[in-house]
Amino acid sequence: MSLAAVMPPQVGQKPDPGMRPVISFHGVSKTYPNGTEAIRDVDLAIYQGDFCFVVGASGSGKTTLVRLLIREEVASTGRIFVDGQETTRMTRRRLPKLRRKFGIVFQDYKLLTKLTVAQNVAFALQVTKPGQRHLKEKVEETLWIVGLEDKLDTFPDELSGGEQQRVAIARALVHRPRIFLADEPTGNLDPDTSWGIVQLLLQINHRGTTVLMATHNREIVDLCRRRVIAIDSGRVVRDEVEGGYLREGEATI
Amino acid sequence: MRGLLASVRFALVAAGQNFTRNLAVSLAGVFTMGLIMLLVGGTLLLTHTVDAILAQQETQADEIHIYLQDSLSMRTIADYELRFSHDSRVNGVAFTSKDQAVVAAQQRGLQLQPAINTLGTNPLPASIDLHVRTLGDLSQLNTVAKALPIVDTSSGSATDYSPGVIPRLQSVITVTVWVGSALSVVLAVISLVIIMNTIRTAVYIRRTEIEIMKLVGAGDWFVRWPFILEGVFGGVLAAAIGATAVAVAYRFVLSQANTQAFLGVTFDGRYLTAMVLLLLAFGAVLGGFGSFLGVRRFLHA
Ligand SMILES: Nc1ncnc2c1ncn2[C@@H]1O[C@H](COP(=O)(O)OP(=O)(O)OP(=O)(O)O)[C@@H](O)[C@H]1O
Ligand SMILES: [Mg+2]
Repeated sequence: MSLAAVMPPQVGQKPDPGMRPVISFHGVSKTYPNGTEAIRDVDLAIYQGDFCFVVGASGSGKTTLVRLLIREEVASTGRIFVDGQETTRMTRRRLPKLRRKFGIVFQDYKLLTKLTVAQNVAFALQVTKPGQRHLKEKVEETLWIVGLEDKLDTFPDELSGGEQQRVAIARALVHRPRIFLADEPTGNLDPDTSWGIVQLLLQINHRGTTVLMATHNREIVDLCRRRVIAIDSGRVVRDEVEGGYLREGEATI
Repeated sequence: MRGLLASVRFALVAAGQNFTRNLAVSLAGVFTMGLIMLLVGGTLLLTHTVDAILAQQETQADEIHIYLQDSLSMRTIADYELRFSHDSRVNGVAFTSKDQAVVAAQQRGLQLQPAINTLGTNPLPASIDLHVRTLGDLSQLNTVAKALPIVDTSSGSATDYSPGVIPRLQSVITVTVWVGSALSVVLAVISLVIIMNTIRTAVYIRRTEIEIMKLVGAGDWFVRWPFILEGVFGGVLAAAIGATAVAVAYRFVLSQANTQAFLGVTFDGRYLTAMVLLLLAFGAVLGGFGSFLGVRRFLHA
């Protein structure tokens, strides 16, 4: 079995200039009910097939950005578009369809402890596409991709942090999403395993899936030389096509 | 089709899990609601039975039965019959023998055979039955009849004339209907609160699951159905418990009333069936609606 068999067909690598962004933010701000301004006046455009790192210190607003994208949170001001649809004005009824476009790895994994690894991955399909054919095969293929094919019947509590993270990745991948959002997917992993995960995301991206990865992992960002969006106190302070974790020439702490 | 079947299966399995994972709370809710259903059903049956007694009394209203002593000869009885038939206030005279009285009583649903067997004799008196032209004459005729030497005074009343019974029954019905309706509304609201809280507990147990379902893009109804089904299931179960208790009590009370008090009330199987179905539907609707309200707040949060 090869990756090609389970990934969506490849599309154009780089967007041509006239292409419509798959995700765009226009003057977006988010103030939480307690008054915290987590995102301030953000403008962004992300194209189909992009691979973006979102970097920034703890509390800079990375997770909030992800939440705004899937409309777990609603922007206080500004407009967000996904696939040309304004999500900031979307009715509740249409949220499921929006969310199914994304595969999301949550920073806290959000695995169900009462279900096995395979059941956790299957759950995402069962509740969004009930009656899906070849469910078992799809789940097993996806777990094979993340290297957990021998942990199908294990419970999340019996896994290491890194393994749990890979279950979360498998669950986000199982429905072959168009956009993959990963919030600190390498947070708990040793350098080798982290690198393995990133290789995996690069492969997924290579097949045409847009990937957005929030991370603190400087080494990975510097090695990949991909697009880097840096946030500081809720503002986009840097957006480079082939960037590093820090600005060129910026002092290392 | 496949998708629908899978969704239904998912919802049923989840509803079953909700019920059993939360068994103590679920059962407490079901039994409380069962008790409420019992009260509602009991009120319905009571109203219906009083209604039936009233209807029966009304058909008998233009008749007066003069109860006769057992020792009278047929001749004496025939004389009195003749005298009454000449009375201008009377437009029909009939005679009911002791045996006919038993048959008539049995037609009204009274179970007399056990009593006759115990006593060894037939306790019902024979009677001369007068049909009056106008209801207003009943009272006068009653006075005349009671003074006759042939009447049977042993059982306390010489005739079956009881002028107050109809208005009294009517007021009983009015009160039962009012009290019953008010009580049912209050009890329905209490049921709703009980269901909402039971479902909230079930939602709380499943909060992580629901959160994930919503975030990966499951529809609202997909999240809701397991809870609604749990509510409907609990409501129907409660109604079944309540209805069974009412049906058993109804049978018992009627048989007691008819053998001990000679009340001629028939067991109305059709009404009972209708009432049971109504209770089941009521339970299902209350359960479903209560659950809907219970999950709503959480879903929109
Ligand atoms: N639900 C919330 N209510 C109020 N404030 C919040 C909430 N969630 C986050 N914040 C605040 O918003 C700011 C941005 O938080 P966010 O979680 O987006 O940061 P982050 O970049 O993901 O951080 P980390 O790298 O630690 O995960 C922080 O100051 C945080 O305290
Ligand atoms: Mg975060």
